[in-house]
Amino acid sequence: MRTLLRFIQKYSNLLLFLILEIIAISLIAQNSSYQRSRLIRLNRQITGFMYNRVDGAREYFSLREANEQLIKENTELRNRLDLVSSRLDSSTVTSELKGEHRYYYVQSRIVRNSSNKQYNYLTLDKGKKDGVFRDMGVVSDQGLVGIILESSANYSTVIPVINRDFRLSAKIKSNNYAGILQWNGLSPRHAMLSEIPFHVALNEGDTILTSGFSSIFPEGIEVGTIESFHLERGNFYDIRVELFTNFQRLYHVNVIRNFRREEQLDLENQSR
Amino acid sequence: MYIIARNIFRFVVLILFQVLVMDNVMINGYMIPYIYILFILLMPFETPRWIQLISGFLLGLVMDLFSGTLGMHTAATVLAAFVRPYLLDLLASRDGYEPETFPRIHYYGFLWFLKYAALIVVIHHLALFYLEVFQLKHFFSTLLRVILSSILSTSTIVLSQYFVFRK
Repeated sequence: MRTLLRFIQKYSNLLLFLILEIIAISLIAQNSSYQRSRLIRLNRQITGFMYNRVDGAREYFSLREANEQLIKENTELRNRLDLVSSRLDSSTVTSELKGEHRYYYVQSRIVRNSSNKQYNYLTLDKGKKDGVFRDMGVVSDQGLVGIILESSANYSTVIPVINRDFRLSAKIKSNNYAGILQWNGLSPRHAMLSEIPFHVALNEGDTILTSGFSSIFPEGIEVGTIESFHLERGNFYDIRVELFTNFQRLYHVNVIRNFRREEQLDLENQSR
Repeated sequence: MYIIARNIFRFVVLILFQVLVMDNVMINGYMIPYIYILFILLMPFETPRWIQLISGFLLGLVMDLFSGTLGMHTAATVLAAFVRPYLLDLLASRDGYEPETFPRIHYYGFLWFLKYAALIVVIHHLALFYLEVFQLKHFFSTLLRVILSSILSTSTIVLSQYFVFRK
């Protein structure tokens, strides 16, 4: 007994170190993506207000850039409007144009952004009050951004493409083959598209779009271009995609509300 | 008493500075300056070791709560707090450390502090970045991130000694 006590006394610091490290490692080990999302949610409630203030200053410095982006987007939208109205005049109104619209975009500002971690999250200044709910898609004028993870009354968190928990079905524009888009944790400008079978003809520079296979994103939102590809274990390609969205300079995004989402999910659950 | 209050104040200031300012510094996605471990660096020499370990643990835990990565910062800061006394012994001059001095440039010179800060930063960053990736697949790209971030963190920490935490 005495020797044991002496032993503990002698190595007390080492023991304390080991105990603390074991606590830390077990925290990591049981830290699933679910727990991460709970933690981020708690964190957002504490810090959302604070970040909003800090971000006021940050945004001031990027006004010029934001302005340029908006002008560019404006011109593009005007062009599209012109195209649509010319088609309307020629009396070929499609059924989709006549019916109620399916998607609605909620304009939002990023109040917290990270792009240099393995599990990056964004915080937006729109929440349930503005109709932003879990599992809605987020896009910028450059392209795909991510998916809403959680929302509170005034804020919401986004799990962006550059988070290792992110997964989304995406397709190649030229041949419509769909694969799974995810991030390997390396560069914030690149993501990986996998599960494209080996017989598909690929070209560097091909555009990648969202496939529309989920109720989150409409089909055809631009994701990026193929930068390089190689065969992984013979059957499937590993495709490196250069993302259109630059997460390091992202300030304004749009959240997509899909008005028919409930209907689609109900139907899918029934037939399961 | 005064020293304890000062350390608690430094703890709060460093965490706020890290979360509100440093976490927004992004240079090409590879480099991120973690300067909050300055808290561990600046603890007085005669701090009991168990207090060093516990404060390292708390420091990491608070950082984890802010960045949503439970356990990762904690493991790294506890390790840094554990190796600190050994490093101090290693870097001590023949006379050791005098009473009523602190581990700062002001008392022990630029070169001593640079070595001391760089070693702790590298140990902390190695643990943190590899735990964050949690696989050996991207061994070398992670190593690159460790090296680049360590350079950035160390230089920020050393610079802070001239502007903010002078004495």
